[in-house]
Amino acid sequence: MVLVIGCTLAQVSLGTWGAVEIYMRAWIVWWRLPGTSLSLPVFPGGALVGLVLMFNLAAAQLKRMELSWKKLGLWIVHAGLILLFVGEFITGVYQVDTRLAVEVGQTVDFVESPRENELVVTDVTDPAADEVYGLPEGLLARADSIPLPGTPLTINVKKFFRNAQLGSRRPTDPPSPATMGVGPGVAVFELAAVANDEDVNRTSAFIEPVAGGRSYGTWLVSNVLGAPQSFTHEGRTYELAMRARRWYLPYSVTLKQFRHDVYEGTQIPKNFSSLVQLRDPARNEDREVLIFMNQPLRYAGKAFYQASFGKGDTLSILQVVENPGWLLPYISCVLVGIGLIVHFGIALRRAFKRRAALTEATT
Amino acid sequence: MPVRPTLVPALLALGVSLLVPACNRDEVTHFRVAKAPQAADGVGGQASHAGAPAPPPGMAGDVAPPPAPDRGLRWTLPKGWTDQRSGGGMRYATLKAPVAGRIDASVVVLPGPAGGELMNVNRWRGQIGLGPIDEATLAAARSAVASPAGTISVYDFTSDGEKKSRLIAGLLEAGGSTWFVKVTGDAAPVGAAAKDFTQLLGSLRLE
Repeated sequence: MVLVIGCTLAQVSLGTWGAVEIYMRAWIVWWRLPGTSLSLPVFPGGALVGLVLMFNLAAAQLKRMELSWKKLGLWIVHAGLILLFVGEFITGVYQVDTRLAVEVGQTVDFVESPRENELVVTDVTDPAADEVYGLPEGLLARADSIPLPGTPLTINVKKFFRNAQLGSRRPTDPPSPATMGVGPGVAVFELAAVANDEDVNRTSAFIEPVAGGRSYGTWLVSNVLGAPQSFTHEGRTYELAMRARRWYLPYSVTLKQFRHDVYEGTQIPKNFSSLVQLRDPARNEDREVLIFMNQPLRYAGKAFYQASFGKGDTLSILQVVENPGWLLPYISCVLVGIGLIVHFGIALRRAFKRRAALTEATT
Repeated sequence: MPVRPTLVPALLALGVSLLVPACNRDEVTHFRVAKAPQAADGVGGQASHAGAPAPPPGMAGDVAPPPAPDRGLRWTLPKGWTDQRSGGGMRYATLKAPVAGRIDASVVVLPGPAGGELMNVNRWRGQIGLGPIDEATLAAARSAVASPAGTISVYDFTSDGEKKSRLIAGLLEAGGSTWFVKVTGDAAPVGAAAKDFTQLLGSLRLE
């Protein structure tokens, strides 16, 4: 209850996603001492509470519940509840929420995180394909030096900002750590991470690529910078950029049509739908799919839901959810339902038997 | 009924196995991605796509976009060259040279002095792995090409290493903006295009 209240109140400053991460998905709720970098544990997090509850339920079941047919219904109910806890853990650990934004006529073969950014180092030397290395912001925040596997490059993180304000450098601004690219002309000021779920952090960092013992200078990367930034090492050209964290798919989605229906004579939305062409050469898949509200496309472990739209109804935004445990809550609910019915049936049968015995005894 | 001791480690193992993947979420990812057709705006090398969500509110104003130059730069293309005017942004145009190999030619415009000549030259040198130079070396590295738009400062650098990269860049300050006309890539194709590129620099004019 304390967690629920704390999480609800925290949504004002952290947003829904941020509050759930800090209160419900965490083992411990930490409180940062104002004005310091010191954090103190103040309460068990939702994950710890859930785990303790699950063990408690399992232990109580094993210790107190007799193994007999009379208790079959309760065994099934408790198994369903434990499965619900397990499902929540699997969801918390494995679920990946991303989105796919595609315009009419466009083909897209990747999904992006709506909240998280990444530093991307792209080897663009090969004329046929790019080698794309993604360094998630979580890694940038905690690592000082990140080698890129399969390349001679190491990225040294000089300073990382989860959110920052960028502006043109004025003569009064302190000197920039950047020595290369557009960074020397840009002033960076750290900001608190965004609280609104609709906002995105302007993630920025000063990084230093090093290869073969040679430094390629300090660069400013940020998802608000669009200027090209690249360097060449031993004939290979690498480009640096910060962008929404991206995962490429082995299949593609082409938006053929987007419909935004409203109730006649009003602007009240009635339905949104995306007609997409799904192409997966590896699985011999090439078919049209209509995605509309509450009717997602489920493919290769992902569910594509109609989530949003834009650009004068020419852009469709699909929420993409990957959760290997998505069936568990359904199974647990069915189990609990069956368990309750079985228990009710057994109790009813026992009541009838008792009534019959009572009738027999009184006659 | 007592708790079976074997169940406790089994449940703990289950819990740990569920948590292990959480530690792997923040690892370096690697994808090999077929090159997409060049973005219409020609800015940046990332595989940006038109369907990408718009920047969050307020984001676009963080770094002021370069103001439109008073007059646009024009040129006469050498034989076989083509150009593609961009839809805005810092990259004004992308030029295609009729030579095989890794080569990219561009026209970029930035407001004002754009950090100054030395900073830009050192930025270019850094792009091909060369160390920075000072003002005195800058003057020695500079050559000039006369054009109707004015005198173009030209720099020609070739990298060290086994596979050499080369960069030839012309810099022109005019009309409150700085124009960069640059060709870069592997040393051989850039060398093959160098004569035509110099001819193109000589044809630059402001209209």
